Amino acid sequence: MPRAAQRRLHVLRRPKLRQSWSKYNLYNLWRQRDPKIGFADHETFFQQKWRAKGLLRAYHGEHIKERDWERMFSRRLLSVANMNPRYMAENDGSEMAAGRGSGRDIVQRWKSDVVEPKTITPYMNMAFAPMERRLDIAIFRAMFASSARQARHFVVHGKVKVNGKVMHYPAYKLNPGDMFQVDPDSVLFATGQPKKKGGSNARQASKAPQDNAEAEPAAEEAEGAEAKAAEAAEASEAPEQDPETTDKPEAAKADMKPTRQAIQKLTKQAKSILARNRDVSTSQKQNLRSFLKRAKPLLSKAGRSTATPTDILGELNSMVKELNLSDPSTETAATPTESSSEKATRQEPPRSIDDLNAEELKALQRLIHEEEENPADPAKPYHTPWKPRDYMSPFAFIPRYLEVNQNVCSAVYLRHPVARVGSAEVPTPFGYQINQLAFNWYLRRR
Amino acid sequence: MPPRIPTKPSASSASALVRSSFASPCTSQCLPSCRAGFSTTPSLERSTNLRRAFLHWTRTVGANFRQPKPEGGSNYIGPAGSASNKPFPLNPQFRSERVLDEQARELIWEKVMRQGETLKAVSAELGVDLTRVAAVVRLKEVEKDWISKGKKLATPYSKAVLGMLPTKSFRPGVQNQPLEPINEIHIHTATQKQLFWPTAESRQFTREDAATAFHAKMLSADKRVPHPELIRMEKDLLQGMSPDEARARFISAAEQSERKAAEKQVRKAMAEEQATTKVNTQRFEFRFKEVDSELVGKDGRAPNVVGWKYGMPHYDRKKGLVKIPTSVP
Repeated sequence: MPRAAQRRLHVLRRPKLRQSWSKYNLYNLWRQRDPKIGFADHETFFQQKWRAKGLLRAYHGEHIKERDWERMFSRRLLSVANMNPRYMAENDGSEMAAGRGSGRDIVQRWKSDVVEPKTITPYMNMAFAPMERRLDIAIFRAMFASSARQARHFVVHGKVKVNGKVMHYPAYKLNPGDMFQVDPDSVLFATGQPKKKGGSNARQASKAPQDNAEAEPAAEEAEGAEAKAAEAAEASEAPEQDPETTDKPEAAKADMKPTRQAIQKLTKQAKSILARNRDVSTSQKQNLRSFLKRAKPLLSKAGRSTATPTDILGELNSMVKELNLSDPSTETAATPTESSSEKATRQEPPRSIDDLNAEELKALQRLIHEEEENPADPAKPYHTPWKPRDYMSPFAFIPRYLEVNQNVCSAVYLRHPVARVGSAEVPTPFGYQINQLAFNWYLRRR
Repeated sequence: MPPRIPTKPSASSASALVRSSFASPCTSQCLPSCRAGFSTTPSLERSTNLRRAFLHWTRTVGANFRQPKPEGGSNYIGPAGSASNKPFPLNPQFRSERVLDEQARELIWEKVMRQGETLKAVSAELGVDLTRVAAVVRLKEVEKDWISKGKKLATPYSKAVLGMLPTKSFRPGVQNQPLEPINEIHIHTATQKQLFWPTAESRQFTREDAATAFHAKMLSADKRVPHPELIRMEKDLLQGMSPDEARARFISAAEQSERKAAEKQVRKAMAEEQATTKVNTQRFEFRFKEVDSELVGKDGRAPNVVGWKYGMPHYDRKKGLVKIPTSVP
């Protein structure tokens, strides 16, 4: 469809509504007024149908050739009736055979103030129902793509599976019970904020080391103080050991146990992250990432190389507790080689380790969990951490004939869309009359 | 793309217009500073009225729609300040319906897979359509499979989308409000015509009779509904059975009907298995089935029969014919 593709999708002059989440489309939808077709007598019936069909076809599958849609069109409009089990148990249907064959007449109360308007079943709104069976449009309806055209692109490029098999025909018509899956990365790309060229993500990447550098000095200062204390302690207790190499023999000997210093450092960092724990700012998130980066090797040291960041905190907590518990017992059994740094901190009250109380730990755990779920990854083609794209929420709805599981980016096409008393399931931007005119347009020669 | 936006913030479009009319004479002076120095056409200094109105909208009304509501829930355009569930203001007949949230899906999965309740019982208890219950379980199974394989879920996307949609959750162990009508039947085409069907006035003309009047083979509405067991239960209740007993009867009836359906499927598969002879070679598994080549329909040209038939063209490779599969097994 070269000509259709060249045409601009969203315009401000003479706007057309589209199946898309564009802000221009939202603006056009917002300022759209009732086109009032057939309200005055200056238009012939043909002109009315023509205009109505034009309005609706611009929305319903504008990327589909008219000839294809004419083949798809069906004059059979599906609807359902709700059968109340209680009513069916009470009556066997003979009450409807009474009177003139459609139940006893309801006596109209003409004198009552409020006459309830009769609710119709909007069959005419189902004019474009066969369109909703198409795979690409179903993907758009399930909110896996930001426009029907993008959904079509995903299908053509093999990003979509139907019942576990790659389906590359956007015109495949779903059958009731079909499950379609879209590649999650494509979905995140389609529905997420775009990556700015040299924008926020790039800036973040360049800024991150600086922020880390800013965050580091405080930690380093603390480390320095501890190291000095350690040196002083060593000078008094174990003068034969070189202060530079205190950590190394210990690491070699007790390989399974991370050093106390490392843990202290981490707890300090965790505290700095939680310093303003109300709103998590970008720099705090960056801090958190560097925290995770440092915590991972620590855990691998402790023998858990496959630890997820969510486990880190629990591990860290338990390690801290172990160290504290071992304090009184190891006082006598401490070997001279391992003691050096531990004893140094033991002489001071081990406040820096214990400082994270249960609430803080929980908060940190939550933060780490969020970070784990939604990591910053410059390799992705969308803005990370993932955020929904702008102007998405006014378009967010999932019709009843689909059941969607967003976690696995999959959906099941339960049944064909139907009309009920008072509502129709086909999402269409115009009301009953315009749909009716369009339906009549396609009825010709049929 | 229209050219750049005027840099000064415009309070109203009228003032912007005035400014732009003043600014227009200077375009020729601006020429040397243009980026594309070789172009002789001066770029449009002012934006169009339409675009200006659009930009004004993005700053005022449109700003509400840029981000989802912080408290969650739908954020559709519509009359200002109204919490409507209509995404299209001109189509009041289309409503955005509630979707099941994570907790509700987990509950359904738990009931079906862990506690072994029947789909019908879960559907009737929670007021969720039968096909939806099955779909929820199926999708949840995929999710669990992903978790067990260590595949990453699209959790941030899921959270964001469910935060934008009207959602429905269930409280376990309590009577919940239903999500949707569960006992719906399709309006059969044969029932849409008007019938003139004279019967004796004394006759009890039931739904059963009405169905046969419409079509000889049509089932009555009592049999076509997804939950015929619910009607049975209501009848039991009307006859004075205690609610607990009626409920137990309903559950056993649902189990029985589901068992029946499963047995039917198994029988079908077994029959298929017995009808085919399988021969395993190194590369292929050949499957042979008995086919009667004499069964060719009335005129010998039935479309779905086996073999090439004289005078019947094979359309499966013909140009211009649709070859898109109609189903994926």
